[in-house]
Order: sequence, then C-alpha cells, then structure tokens
Amino acid sequence: VAKTSLTSPPWPEVKLPDPVEEAKYHTEVVQKVNKMIATGQYGRLFAVVHFASKQWKITSEDLIMMDNVLEAECGDRIRMEKVLLVGADDFTLIGRPLLGKDLVRVEATVIEKTESWPKINMRFWRRHNYQRKKIIVNPQTVLRINTIEIFPCLS
Amino acid sequence: MVLLSAQRWIRSRLTDRFWRVQEVLKYARHFRGRKNRCYKLAVRSVRRAFVKSTKARREKKRILRALWITRIEAASLEHGLKYPAFISNLLKSQVELNRKVIADLAIYEPKTFKSLAALAQRRRQEGFLAALGDGKEPEGIFSRIVHHY
Repeated sequence: VAKTSLTSPPWPEVKLPDPVEEAKYHTEVVQKVNKMIATGQYGRLFAVVHFASKQWKITSEDLIMMDNVLEAECGDRIRMEKVLLVGADDFTLIGRPLLGKDLVRVEATVIEKTESWPKINMRFWRRHNYQRKKIIVNPQTVLRINTIEIFPCLS
Repeated sequence: MVLLSAQRWIRSRLTDRFWRVQEVLKYARHFRGRKNRCYKLAVRSVRRAFVKSTKARREKKRILRALWITRIEAASLEHGLKYPAFISNLLKSQVELNRKVIADLAIYEPKTFKSLAALAQRRRQEGFLAALGDGKEPEGIFSRIVHHY
C-alpha cells in the first residue's frame, strides 16, 4: 500500500529498548558504580541537601548561612539527613526523592550564631501623612560542611 | 528684682540637631547631586530609597525564579528538551529538586544535568507509550512510583 501523509500518526514513533537487555545493563552499571565507590575512585563529592526549608548544593569545606536559629551550640557536629542528590566526577546518585541514610553521610559543624545587618522596612503613602519605619534584625547561623561520605550499599 | 519662679526662665533647647541630621544624611552619602548634602532634599530621597528597597525584597524572589527558569530552559534545549517537558517529567519521576539547584547544576555540573535530561526524556517516552498503548504493553521502569513508609 502506498504511504500517504495519513498512514502513520504525525508524532514520531517511540520505541523503548528491550526490557530483559535493559535489566542486564542496569545491573551491570549498578555493580560497576558499587565497585567504584568501594575502591574509592572518586574525587570531590558534591551533594544536594534539603535543610532549613531550602535546598543547598554543597561540597566539603563549604560555608552555609541560614536566616534562622538552630538549637545547637557553637562547635556541635550535625548530621544532615534528607539528601536529594550525591555526585562525583563519573557518577551521580539521584534520590527519589531522598537517598537512604545508610548510603550517604553529610556532617557539618555550627561555627557562629549572629544577627543580620539591620534591614529597614519602610511604608509611605504620599499626601496622606502616613509613614512607618521598622528595623528588622534576623538571627543567622553559619555552618561549615565537614565531610560528605558515601558507602557501597547499592542494589 | 527677685526671680521668685526661676524655673520659668529656663527653656529647653535642641542640642543634638547635628546628630539627628547626620542619621538621615549617612544613608544619602552615595547619592548624586545636592541630595547627598542638603537635609531637606535628602530626607525625601532617603525615604523613597527605603520604600523601594522594601518593595524590591519581595520582587527579588520573583526575579530570581524567572532567571533560574530561563537558565534551565536554555540548558535543557541544548539537550533537546523543552522546559515544561523537562520539569514535568522530572516531577513525575519523583525527583524533587528546586529550580535554584537545577540551575546551579546546569552551570557547574554539566554531566549531572545531562543525566537528569536523559531521565526526563525516558520518562516522557514511557508516558507516551502508556497513553497510546492503553495498558496492554508492560509498564515502564522509570514510571514506577517509590513508596517510602
């Protein structure tokens, strides 16, 4: 039968690779990455961490400043759970949405707890004799990320 | 003459006018023209500057989000995906990274961004097959939902 413009649908045909072969390929990749982690063939690790209702992309020896109070004294070591992504030069581990606690370990230390610079909040309506001025000072906490470690427990 | 009520002869005088004026002028020192020197002009300019900075603090969040979206769009177009397809497929595969972090990855970790784009593309194709095939073919691997209990 001759091919016209209506023989095949206008969208491109989508073919997925063979599931059996794909499963074999997936197990191979997982074993390779596990071996790389076990032997330690990675350079600097970076991680994406959900902390203080914000997401941060962090490496080791990193400084982080939060705009709120942390209930920990200066010099306390903190372990950050809720890791969303960990990566190195050759591989990345993407969590759906979080990675397991037995897979990644992110340690941080509280360095200083200060206040922010005095921010000025001013409201003014012209011709109505209305102006309000308020000085807002937020407490801030500075953390230093000490280490990011991964363990070879992929499956 | 005896001043019987001496207190009535002492009036209060404003002695710290200089410092009250300096409090306002210190915020106007980097302005242009006479408003960095003359108090009457400086008061108005400083007031406008404060009001603009309060309003800008709310606008900054919107501006930065639009900037991240532009950057993610540019990076995903380099890998052959449009921004709505990229973001919707990433969310459907249960990857909850926000736009700030994805924009940072697109700038500093190109390989990671490429793998995210490939993940979104694969999830998109599985979505097409699921929509067109109506459940007779096997379900996709990347469309499986992970349950954390």
